[in-house]
Amino acid sequence: MKKVAILLTFVMLFLCGCGGKASGTTPVTDDVVTLRIANSEEYIDEGGWDASETITLSDGQKIRGVDPLVNDFEKWYQEKYGKKVRVLYSTYGTNEDLYNQMTLGNSFDLVCPSEYMIMKLIRENKLEPLSKDFYNKESAYNYYAKGVSPYIFKRMKGLKEGGKPLTDYAAGYMWGTLGTVYNPSKVDKKDASSFRIYLNKKYYKRLTIKDSVRDTYFAGLAIAKEKELAKNGADISKILNDTSQKTVNQVEDVITDMRENAYSMETDSAKQDLVTRKADASLQWSGDGVFSINQAEKDGLRLCYAVPEEGSNLWFDGWVMLSDGVKDDKDKKQAAEAFINYISRPESAIRNMYYIGYTSAITGGDDPMVEEYVNYVYGSEEKNAVDYDLSYLFGKKCVIKADPDQLDRQLFAQYPTEDILKRCAVMKCFSNQANRRVSQMWTNVRCYRFPWEKRR
Amino acid sequence: MRFKRSMLGIPYVIFLIIFVMAPLAVVFVYTFTNGSGQFTLENFLGFFKSSRTIATLVYSLFVALVTTVFCLLIAYPTAYALARSGFKKKNILLLLAVIPMWINFTLRVTALKEVLDLVEGNLAYYPFFNTIIGQIYDFLPFMILPIFNVFDEMDKSLLEAGRDLGADRKSLFLSVILPLSMPGIASGITMVFLPAMTNYVVLDMLYNSTYIMGSLIGSYFNAYDWHNGSMVSTILLLIIILFSLIGKNKTQNA
Repeated sequence: MKKVAILLTFVMLFLCGCGGKASGTTPVTDDVVTLRIANSEEYIDEGGWDASETITLSDGQKIRGVDPLVNDFEKWYQEKYGKKVRVLYSTYGTNEDLYNQMTLGNSFDLVCPSEYMIMKLIRENKLEPLSKDFYNKESAYNYYAKGVSPYIFKRMKGLKEGGKPLTDYAAGYMWGTLGTVYNPSKVDKKDASSFRIYLNKKYYKRLTIKDSVRDTYFAGLAIAKEKELAKNGADISKILNDTSQKTVNQVEDVITDMRENAYSMETDSAKQDLVTRKADASLQWSGDGVFSINQAEKDGLRLCYAVPEEGSNLWFDGWVMLSDGVKDDKDKKQAAEAFINYISRPESAIRNMYYIGYTSAITGGDDPMVEEYVNYVYGSEEKNAVDYDLSYLFGKKCVIKADPDQLDRQLFAQYPTEDILKRCAVMKCFSNQANRRVSQMWTNVRCYRFPWEKRR
Repeated sequence: MRFKRSMLGIPYVIFLIIFVMAPLAVVFVYTFTNGSGQFTLENFLGFFKSSRTIATLVYSLFVALVTTVFCLLIAYPTAYALARSGFKKKNILLLLAVIPMWINFTLRVTALKEVLDLVEGNLAYYPFFNTIIGQIYDFLPFMILPIFNVFDEMDKSLLEAGRDLGADRKSLFLSVILPLSMPGIASGITMVFLPAMTNYVVLDMLYNSTYIMGSLIGSYFNAYDWHNGSMVSTILLLIIILFSLIGKNKTQNA
C-alpha cells in the first residue's frame, strides 16, 4: 500500500510539473509579442544563400537571402512598428498533420494550410477574419493588398464557405496546378497532356501517382468524368467536386487500374525516380515539377511539365489566423497581419519563390519587381524567343520574351497560361459524409484483394 | 523510510504509466466509442464485416508468416554454426551477424531498393517478393540472436549422452537439440512475426502499395477516424497477446 502511495506521489509530482510548464508558454513580458507560426516544411526562405546566388534585376537591384525571412521580419517589425515580436516558428508535414496537431491541443496564431483545409477551419469556426484595414491599399505597409495577383484574388474570392468568401480569412501564399512531369524522350507530349496516361499500358509500371487521397481522387475523377468535362460549357468546378456515392464507385474502379499500372504511389520519391530514369512520368504539383525539372537538368536529363487538358486542379495555400490564438489579443493580430504583409513584399515573394520553387500569389501590383524577376529567370533575348502573355495574372500588361522550350517546362509549370487555368478547378473541402465515402473508397483500393474476389 | 530493492523499479513504472498505460487507455476508449462518445461495438463489427479489412488482416498475417518461416530457415543453421565455432571466432562471427542492426534500417532498405532494382529491372513487377526480401533483411538478426543464445548455453553433455545412448544424427536433432532450442525459436518468432505484421515502412519504401495492418491504422488516422484507427490497434494488441500466450506455453512445455 505504501509503495502505491509513493508511486502515486511521484506521478502527481510529475504531472504537476508538466502542467506548470504547459501553462507557462504564454508571453512572460508585456512588451514582447510572441507569434506562433506553423508552416509546411521548407516552405519559406531560410536564408544562407551563397553570394553567387544573388539575384540581380535589370534595374541593378540585388536580392539575396542572408538571414531567414522570419528573422528579417522580427527586425523589420521592430523598426516599423516600434514593438518587439518573437516568432516561434514550427513546421508540419501535411494539412492533416496540422489539423491533428491542433486537435491534440497545440495552439498557433498563424498557419498556412491549403484551400480545402482553410474551408474546413472556417466551417468549424476556428479562424479569425482579417481586419478591415488589411485590404486598405492606402496603408503604407499593406503589401498584400497592394501586391496580390488580381487573378488569384478573384479565384480565392469565388470560393465560399458558409456564404463567406475565403478572402475574408485568408491571404494567398503560393499556388499552382496539378500536372504530369514527364521524360520527353520516352513519353509523347500528347499522352502526358491527359490524366489518361495513368491508365496507358504503354507506360506499364513506369508512372508514379500520389499516395494521397485527394490528389489521386482528383485524377481518377477527371478520367471517370472525361466525357462530361469535354462537353461545351461544362461546369468544370461542379464536375470536379463530385463526391456522390455513384461517382466515388466509378472513381474507385479507375484508381484501382491506376494503381495496377503505376510504378509507385509516392509522397516524395518521384523526383528521384524520374532523375534515375526508373519512372517516365509522374503526377506532381507544379512547384515540385519545377524542382524536378531543375534537378534533372543538373543531371543532364530533360524533363517537361504538362497540365492535363480535360481539366486539372488549381490549388493554393494561404495564411490564416486562428481565433484560438489571436482573438482577444490586438497586438498579436497586428503582428500576424504584419507578418503576412512582410512576406508579401515583392522582395520577400521573390526570395521565397527562388528558395522553394513554387509560385507566389504576389505579383507586386504597381511594383515591377516580380515581373522583372520572371524576366530574370525566364527571359530570353535570342531570335527565336516567343511572347508569353501573363497579363491576366499580373493585372497589367506583362509579356515575357521566353525561349520556346520553356513553354513545356519551368516557365509553363510556374506560370501557366490563362486558358490552362480556365480549365482548372479548385477542389473544395469534402463534407464529412463525402469524406467518409472517399476514405472508404481509398481503403478499398489499397487493401488486399483475394485472387478469387471480383472487382466491385 | 527504508530502502527496498523494489523501489529501483519506480522510474520504469512511472514511465510505463505515463507513456504506455495512459495512451493504451485512450486507445481503448476510442475503440469502443463512436463520434459522439457513446459506447459501441460498431467499430469492431465493422472490421470483421468488411471483406477488405479481413483481406488486409490475412495479407498481413501471410506476409508475417512467410517472413518468419524464411528467417527461421536462415537463422537456425546460422546460429548453430556460430555457436559451434571456436571461442574467439564465435564472437567475431556473431558481431558480423549483428552489425547490420547498427545501421539505420531505412538506410538499409534504401540500399536494398537499388540492388533489387538492378537485379529485377523494374522494382514494381514483384512487390510481394520484394516485401519479403526487405522484411527478412530487416528482421533476420532478431531471429539469429535468441537462437544463438540457446545454442551457446546448451549443455554439451546432453548431446554426448544422447550419442552414447545410441542416437543417430537425425534423432539426436529431433529429440535433443530441437526441443532444447525451442525457447530461442519461440522468442525469435515473437520478435519477428509481430513486428513484421505492421512494418509498413518496408512496403512503402519498396513500392508495395498494398496495405498491411500498420498502414491501415495510418490511413484511418489521416482521415481523422480515431475510432477505427484505435480499433485496428486494439485488434493488433489482441493478436500480440494471443501469440505471446502461445509462445509462453511453448517455452514452458519445452
